[in-house]
Amino acid sequence: MAALLEVRNLKKYFKSPGGTVHAVDDVSFEIEEGKTVGLVGESGCGKSTLGRTLIHLNESTEGTIVYKGKDVTHLNKKEMVAFRREVQMIFQDPFSSLDPRQTVSDIIKEPMLLSKSMSKAKVEERTEELMDTVGVEKRLRMSYPHELDGGRRQRVGIARALALNPKFIVCDEPVSALDVSIQAQILNLLMDLQEQMGLTYLFITHDMSVVKHISNQICVMYLGQMVEKCDRNELFAHPTHPYTRALLSAIPTTDIHAKKERILLKGEIKSPIDPGEECRFCSRCIYAKEECKKAQSLTEISPGHFVACCRAKELTDT
Amino acid sequence: MADHTHNKKGGGHHHRGHGKKGKRHHIDPGIKPGSAKYIWASISHNKGAIFGMVFLTAMIVLSLLSPVICRYNYAATDFEMMKSWPSIKHLFGTDDLGRDILSRVLYGARYTLIIGILSTLLSAVLGILLGACAGYFGGVIDAALMRFLDIFQAFPSLVLAMAFCAVFGTGIDKCIYALGITGIPGFARLMRANILRIRNTEYIEAATTINCPTWKIILQHIIPNAVSPVIVEIAMGISRNGLASSSLSFLGLGVQEPRPEWGAMLASTRNYIRDYPYMVIIPGIFIVFTVLSFNLLGDAFRDALDPNFRD
Amino acid sequence: MTEKNEAFFEIQNLTVEYHSGNAIIHAVNDVSLSLSQGETLGLVGETGAGKTTIARAILRILPEHSVESVSGKVMFEGKDILEMNARDLHDLRGRDISMIFQDPMTALNPVKTVISQIAEGYKLHHGCPQAEANERAIKMLEMVGIGANRAYEYPHQFSGGMKQRVVIALALACSPKLLLADEPTTALDVTIQAQVLDLIKDLRDELGTAMILITHDLGVVADICDKVAVIYAGRIIESGTKEDVFDHPAHPYTQGLFAALPDLEKEVERLSPIEGLPPDPSVIRKGCDFMERCPHRCDRCTSFDNNMVELSTGHFSRCYRTGNEEA
Repeated sequence: MAALLEVRNLKKYFKSPGGTVHAVDDVSFEIEEGKTVGLVGESGCGKSTLGRTLIHLNESTEGTIVYKGKDVTHLNKKEMVAFRREVQMIFQDPFSSLDPRQTVSDIIKEPMLLSKSMSKAKVEERTEELMDTVGVEKRLRMSYPHELDGGRRQRVGIARALALNPKFIVCDEPVSALDVSIQAQILNLLMDLQEQMGLTYLFITHDMSVVKHISNQICVMYLGQMVEKCDRNELFAHPTHPYTRALLSAIPTTDIHAKKERILLKGEIKSPIDPGEECRFCSRCIYAKEECKKAQSLTEISPGHFVACCRAKELTDT
Repeated sequence: MADHTHNKKGGGHHHRGHGKKGKRHHIDPGIKPGSAKYIWASISHNKGAIFGMVFLTAMIVLSLLSPVICRYNYAATDFEMMKSWPSIKHLFGTDDLGRDILSRVLYGARYTLIIGILSTLLSAVLGILLGACAGYFGGVIDAALMRFLDIFQAFPSLVLAMAFCAVFGTGIDKCIYALGITGIPGFARLMRANILRIRNTEYIEAATTINCPTWKIILQHIIPNAVSPVIVEIAMGISRNGLASSSLSFLGLGVQEPRPEWGAMLASTRNYIRDYPYMVIIPGIFIVFTVLSFNLLGDAFRDALDPNFRD
Repeated sequence: MTEKNEAFFEIQNLTVEYHSGNAIIHAVNDVSLSLSQGETLGLVGETGAGKTTIARAILRILPEHSVESVSGKVMFEGKDILEMNARDLHDLRGRDISMIFQDPMTALNPVKTVISQIAEGYKLHHGCPQAEANERAIKMLEMVGIGANRAYEYPHQFSGGMKQRVVIALALACSPKLLLADEPTTALDVTIQAQVLDLIKDLRDELGTAMILITHDLGVVADICDKVAVIYAGRIIESGTKEDVFDHPAHPYTQGLFAALPDLEKEVERLSPIEGLPPDPSVIRKGCDFMERCPHRCDRCTSFDNNMVELSTGHFSRCYRTGNEEA
């Protein structure tokens, strides 16, 4: 099956006083229609930048983005308008992603009014329909965001993203600011919507259990690079990259009887400013050897399972 | 292990909440925050703001009516009644030239108010424009504008205003220009900081992703969220400039005698502060209350305009 | 009170109300808990449940302008903290009880070196010479894994995880008997969180410090606590040992929390969220606080007297069903 979205060797660099920040460095992956790809990593690994680059909130430095078989890396104004009808984003912080001076219905209507493709009456009708879809009570139409709780705000943000019937949605940590019980509500909503509308998601998060629940494919990022990429079940059954292993072992579990061996990482994430050639994880890696001091590239160690570690083959045996 | 079978304490609680939401101060929850009605409701429930409004309205009305309602002309000297303490005939007494202080104080309110308001509007308009440009365009424009404004801010504003008056002369209009120009950097910085803050929020990114054109983003999302601190600053600016106009006049650079500007009144009677303190205290009290009124109004506006304020 | 009840730290019927406009926010309702020396209690709850208010009430650092009333007792070694005078309170804070805040960025003074911040508190409480205090500070920093060579750096020179280590060193410098940790790892990444939790565990065991860990993360509680108290709408709705609560969650809310978590081990089609929202804290309700969201509610819930029901020794649940229909 052809991929809906394909990313090839995407790079996004920023200039900073200290040098060049390699926020996203040579990342490739594809997403099939109707599926969810989870993008996991810790703060500063470039996962949000990647998501923002995909929907052209940042312009990429290098590489190509192909959507529905068409190169969308560089778009003119008209193409951009068309592109953003199909590709939308749900933001992390439901407290800052809604304009505090707009009412709930203004927020949901805005994309439709801007598209100028619907009559006023149709917009009203669709707004009610959307509020219904995402589970926001109609009596809250004239409420302001600050009057709503976090879960409802996030629902409004989802309704805005859905307004123009997009195909592909970048979800940037949509549940990490929410309480556990509300988080489950929103995750269920996103999965229901996917089923009903055949949506495709790129789901960005730092939470391994959330990503396992919602994704078909998972990409693990570390310092701007993709270190492991495979099917969800494969990742949890055979985590291979030392970073993925450490990440999985660090998750606090609610099972108080599980005796888990925790891989404690030394030190902290390196600076993404001019990180150099060598494996970016090797300074923290418990398996690091001399040979790790060179650039690593994603290699397929079993069908569909890619790892960027020169010792991957040895590690799969341990 | 502690005794966990505690009973609900009898009596201790009773429901005192009035508003359903329990968040708005006495305001009907049906009124939408951000609407003019809400702003009015919020301000009219603020005791300080009511005091400020009543005082300022009274000052404006009395000042306008003072030629009609006052028994004496503000400039009329009465050498038989020089330096007389407050009495029925002269409620606030008379000054060293026998002029009725009540008439002078009421008439003089217009100078402080006019200078305060016009000079602040001048600095607000120019400051907002410059600050918005600097914040929105960034880069070289930002740097150039801000360094230019730094030069202004390198001098204490009163000193700058004094220098301006010394070069261009005294008078009401010069006083307005002087104070107006010295106030520009404050407004420009405020506006710039606001725009920078708002430009980086997720709701501006969200607006971009739904194809909102740049001009609409600025007009519908950035400006409405950036102006409320500026409105508050305007109220505060009027009080500051009103005070500064009195200072300039006190120093002999602003409004000139015999016009009864309050600062000028202080200046001309300051030699009598020991023997006839009322001559100094009365205009002083009016200055204090006017400044206070604008500050209270500014605070009330801040509460009324910011929908997030009470979260 | 029996002999056993003379825990060295005990909260009795703590109630805290805030005022907001003309409404009264009932933030903490009649909370009682106790702690023995060296024990760690996990206080679990969602946003707005009143967890942080409890910690702040213990140290008496509630925001004065918005507090309507505080009642109950907070007994520390036989003395009621709520009744203490300023002098005793000063001695207590930082020396006997100290606190780790959620956000390490704001808990440190940005214009002072980390060593001087740690030494300052120690000097203040022990009246020792500067050299001795500095020595102590360096020892503390080494304990949390920061070399003496970094002692004279400023907070902004440390990363988030390192800053939280400094905060921990600061909190433990005077060897407090009780440590209040308010979401100490929430701002950190998982791999760093694992490091910090391990560090807290090691230091706690080494120094024998009792701890109240406030968190929304059941995984963190499982990792580090001996006892658990689940708090909902300002009330403790379930408490007991970690084994009691994690193996046999009794209150429907606790059960709901576990069910709402995506589980790495299990495969489910959809999660089971707790429907609805926490109740409005400005309204006094009759009956059970959780009633409206509870899948098991029935008529009896509206007249529930909100008493704890003891299921087994030390395992309490604030639901009349527990002990009756529950296994």
